[in-house]
Amino acid sequence: MADIVSIRIGAEPAGRVSAGRLRFFAFMAIAAFMIAGPVAEQVFGVRTALLRSWTMFSAIGLNVIDASFEIRRPDGALLPLDRFDMLGAPRDGRLKRIESREELASVIEQLCTAAGQGADIRVRARQATRSGWQIIHADAENACAD
Amino acid sequence: MPAPTDAIADWPGWRLMHAVAARFVDWAVYSEGSSRSSALVRIGLAMLFWSRWAGELLLYRDQSPLGLFLAVNFFLATALLFVGYHSRIAAVWAGSVGLAMYYYFGHQLAREPWTHHHAYLLVVAALLIALTPCGRSYSMDRYLAVMRAGRTGVAPPAERGNLWGLRLIVVQLSVLYFFSAFDKSNYAFLSGARIEQIFLWYYAGSDYPAIPGLAWLATIVSFAVVALEYCLAFGLPFRRTRRYLVVPGLAFHSIIYLSLPVYTFSATMALLYLAYFDADAIDKIIARLQGIEYAGTAGEGMS
Repeated sequence: MADIVSIRIGAEPAGRVSAGRLRFFAFMAIAAFMIAGPVAEQVFGVRTALLRSWTMFSAIGLNVIDASFEIRRPDGALLPLDRFDMLGAPRDGRLKRIESREELASVIEQLCTAAGQGADIRVRARQATRSGWQIIHADAENACAD
Repeated sequence: MPAPTDAIADWPGWRLMHAVAARFVDWAVYSEGSSRSSALVRIGLAMLFWSRWAGELLLYRDQSPLGLFLAVNFFLATALLFVGYHSRIAAVWAGSVGLAMYYYFGHQLAREPWTHHHAYLLVVAALLIALTPCGRSYSMDRYLAVMRAGRTGVAPPAERGNLWGLRLIVVQLSVLYFFSAFDKSNYAFLSGARIEQIFLWYYAGSDYPAIPGLAWLATIVSFAVVALEYCLAFGLPFRRTRRYLVVPGLAFHSIIYLSLPVYTFSATMALLYLAYFDADAIDKIIARLQGIEYAGTAGEGMS
């Protein structure tokens, strides 16, 4: 590459020789800096504020919980349970997005309290992780029995 | 028997590599062209700086000496960048103010979202446009040069210059696209899970919509996003593939802009797409739009 720069520079007027060479090495240095940022973090796992990686939205949505609830009727059938209706909470309020296991446990506790003694509420829930979805609640057991 | 170096030089692969490298060097640092596309990027960047930060930097917002110092520098530098007075110095000044905002106020003082990708991209773009002839067109610099030429009876300076700053913007965008795709090249993203999670976070909350096939759609969209980003990384710099990728790229950024809080990121990317195009070709289009005959000279290298 340096050979090519020299050949190319040789074709220039004498006064521009150093400018062309300098520009080329500056170009390569800046390009190397551009590549170094993402390589450092995304390949070698080195996190530093000095270098910029390109991992847009890589942490957004982590820990959010996808949950569904069912309640057992006296005849034994399981019906979908609307947590907003049950708790009298607004659909765009705090209950809309459950962001941790602790929040989910709190919602379950509130639902069980609202459903009354002996209620049978089944919860299916999975939590967002960097490696995908992680199931944290299967509906095999009565969540109010915990 | 030929000397080893001669043998290498005769090898067809070596000659091909040499030709490719020579072409790259020509493209990177020796191509000259119209300064008008650089000037358009300069003006657009000044407007994006205002769009992103002007509201937060109004003088009453932070009345500490440091806050006022930052605000005054920001508005002076970006105003000069916009009108094009000492344009390249203004670009360095605006970029330096942006660097201070990103590194010191953002990372050191934890002022968010000043550490985000969109902020860094704007700052880098301002610094790179300083390496272009961005002041030779559509600027106060140009006006003053034409006036000076008129007074002295010589022809005004050509609206041309070395375009290595635009080439560096191309490299930056390709690096950005490649590593963005690389970050998503894993099971979590390609399975559709990450897109589902982001969708729940911003839209649905903890209730997965009861729409049949939504999980499949998420998987298909995930594959499409990653494939598109790899294509944009390697295809946009080349004329033959660029023609098929510009519209998908702009559509991709438009969808992201409408659906996610990316601030000025999409608009900055769209503006920087100008760097991919032949500067003289853009000049021809501008001339045609204005109904004037194109007076440009020689074309540029490989892009």
